[in-house]
Amino acid sequence: MNVIEMKNISKSFPGTKAVDAVDFRLEQGEILSLLGENGAGKTTLMKILYGMHSMDTGEIFFKGRPVEIKKPLDAINLGICMVHQHFMLVSAFTVADNIIAGDEPCKGIFVDKKKEYQVVKDLIEEFHFNIDPHAKVGKLSVGEQQRVEILKTLYRKAEVIILDEPTAVLTPKEVDDLFVVLKNLRASGKSIVIITHKLKETKAIADRVMVLRDGKLIRDDVDPAQASFTDLSDMMVGRHVDLGVVERAKSRGDVIFSVENLTLREKGHDVLDAINLKLHSGEILGIAGIEGNGQTQLLECITGLRQPQSMDLRLRGEPVKGGPSAFLRKGLAHIPEDRNAMGLVASMSISDNLILGYQDTPEYANHGFLRRKTILEQADTLRQEFQVKAPDSQTKVGALSGGNAQKVIIARALSKKPDVLIVAQPTRGVDVGASEYIRGRIRQLRDGGAAILLVSADLDEVMQLSDRIAVMYEGKLVYEVEADVLSDVELGMLMTGGSLADLKKGKEEGNG
Amino acid sequence: MIILIIAATLRMAIPYILASTGGAYSVRAGITDLGCEGMMIGGAFFGVLGAYFSGSPWIGLLCGVVAGMVFAVLNGILHVTFKVNPAISGVCVNLLSTALAPLLVKLVWDNESMSPLVNGFTSFAGTWLEKIPVLGEILKTQNILFFLTLVIVLVAWAFLFKTKFGLRLRMVGEDPVAASTVGLNTIRYKYTGQLVCGALSGLAGVYLSLGQLSMYTEGMTAGRGYICMVINVIGGYNPLGAVWGGCFFAFFEALRTVIQNASINANFLMMIPYVMTLIAIVISARRVLPPAGMGKHHDD
Repeated sequence: MNVIEMKNISKSFPGTKAVDAVDFRLEQGEILSLLGENGAGKTTLMKILYGMHSMDTGEIFFKGRPVEIKKPLDAINLGICMVHQHFMLVSAFTVADNIIAGDEPCKGIFVDKKKEYQVVKDLIEEFHFNIDPHAKVGKLSVGEQQRVEILKTLYRKAEVIILDEPTAVLTPKEVDDLFVVLKNLRASGKSIVIITHKLKETKAIADRVMVLRDGKLIRDDVDPAQASFTDLSDMMVGRHVDLGVVERAKSRGDVIFSVENLTLREKGHDVLDAINLKLHSGEILGIAGIEGNGQTQLLECITGLRQPQSMDLRLRGEPVKGGPSAFLRKGLAHIPEDRNAMGLVASMSISDNLILGYQDTPEYANHGFLRRKTILEQADTLRQEFQVKAPDSQTKVGALSGGNAQKVIIARALSKKPDVLIVAQPTRGVDVGASEYIRGRIRQLRDGGAAILLVSADLDEVMQLSDRIAVMYEGKLVYEVEADVLSDVELGMLMTGGSLADLKKGKEEGNG
Repeated sequence: MIILIIAATLRMAIPYILASTGGAYSVRAGITDLGCEGMMIGGAFFGVLGAYFSGSPWIGLLCGVVAGMVFAVLNGILHVTFKVNPAISGVCVNLLSTALAPLLVKLVWDNESMSPLVNGFTSFAGTWLEKIPVLGEILKTQNILFFLTLVIVLVAWAFLFKTKFGLRLRMVGEDPVAASTVGLNTIRYKYTGQLVCGALSGLAGVYLSLGQLSMYTEGMTAGRGYICMVINVIGGYNPLGAVWGGCFFAFFEALRTVIQNASINANFLMMIPYVMTLIAIVISARRVLPPAGMGKHHDD
């Protein structure tokens, strides 16, 4: 039986047709993977179902009868709940307050605190979630916060649970835990939609796959057991993409970049604790770690954005000092982790963004005046070379898709032929096709002899690209290993502060 | 002497406590309480205007409170409905109010800077309250608004932290997007926060004019609305915090008026509350964080 049917749904945003005449169905008690690239319309479609977006045309049926969903409350009242990609939680509130807010147990006008905590405690125990209802949400790990989000839906007696990119921020272990939870929910009769672009997870958990591309429905009856990774990716992208290309460094050179004894103190404790790292020319060193373990600060220190308490940073044996522009001049290029906040100025053109950080070099400036012609010509060349899809180089960067905006940053950094590239989250929010392209360019730069430091929250990406992997945990580099030695589970263990011995022990116990 | 200071402190604290409590509602709903000053001026002026025409301080109080709410709604329309930067909308309210009051003073009373005396709230001097030992000394300089303030603070605190409405208002202030996803109408809560802020800031203004001088004089709020922003920072955007924060500033103000000692330079004494403001903000600004969703909208 279909719990939900959506017929002929269309939705336009200024300039784009986000969802184009899509039919959607969700069966009772299944886990459906709604698969598609960024911008394919998956989230928009589900936000229509949840009442966060209005639809231009179309009809929604809940258990066979037509319903009107104009606001989230309408959906919640029907038993349709959504766990958003960016958690909708209040850090300053307790777990219980977060769960009940909007639907509080009351005694007169007062919130019935006793009942509140009892109900939440019962719910937590029922699903074996192991969370303290009195804890402040801001103090929980990301995985725990997600469980609070799921509890919110269960508290509201959800029958249909939509999860938007649920694994984007989780460690491999947390992903496994989540899948157990989802299977339990399915067993208790809930119907679940996961919005994702990850093929591995789709294959691991989904009963059925529905593929969207450019706002259109491609297939809604794919059996994940039958379809291969390549099949799914081709459906999703619309052409053939070589996935997960692995090419390790062929010739590793000498150490050209080294950081020693990097310590950064913030609010009384060491955010970075005696970090040492060495980069050889012609290799990619990947930093694996859960976000918030000091990666951001590490990046800021080694790109000159921040002055640590102690650091000995050398490029070819020479110490590098000064601010970010001094670092750039010495040939240390930087692709920052947050492209919108740090990488680009959205309201400026592609050509202007391409010279940011280098605007006062003689190449682009003549006694303080910009060489417009050179800048434009170079922008046109780079735009073509790096396959930035835009009408011309005067287009504002804010109008580009995530992938194309990222290519602008890649082009800026790579065109300067850096000796060292410090690159963070190179493919975050970038579609599959562009991701593989960007990874290819990074490998190409490495093969040309550059030393590359890669920081990514996406463990798969770190494992695919790196020649050597260092694990970062609580401001320390806790483990360093050649690529292809450790599995994702082993790395995940190290990323959460465990040791490989723990893992072995756990396995033995499991077997015993 | 000590009793004198305590009495003066409590008297001066009331406008701070009222406006800060209002400000706390504004901030907790996610809107900066910059407009308190303007709402206070509105309350002070329109309170006197109402009392002048009606002869009753209670009608004046009602006018003052409504005036504060009107300015608050204006702030709401600018910031909540039209999404003007809250600092700008707050400044607009303050400028408008600062300009409107003298204009009306001129039009109504043909005076440059002050109203005539009107019927204000009388103090408890001469009533049975004065006869209570020790406490009477303090109470005789207070008026009915003192007790009203105590009730308001307690009710405001309970409402904000114990009721479903308060939880929701705070959720809107912390994260309007999250609040909207659980079905809350964030706009309504933001306006409510503004209205409470306007009403209480207006009442604070009424206390200054009808409760103390029984007249309106230009500049009588003397930046107290801005000090309330500081009180909210050190008081943690909590009505109970507003009580001690208000008393803290009022104490220095009281000290200034009580110690009218020629051996200390008067300008130096005048400075104290403002210096304390600076010190307080330096100490607590990093410790007490405002709601995470300040200035954000549910559809950002």
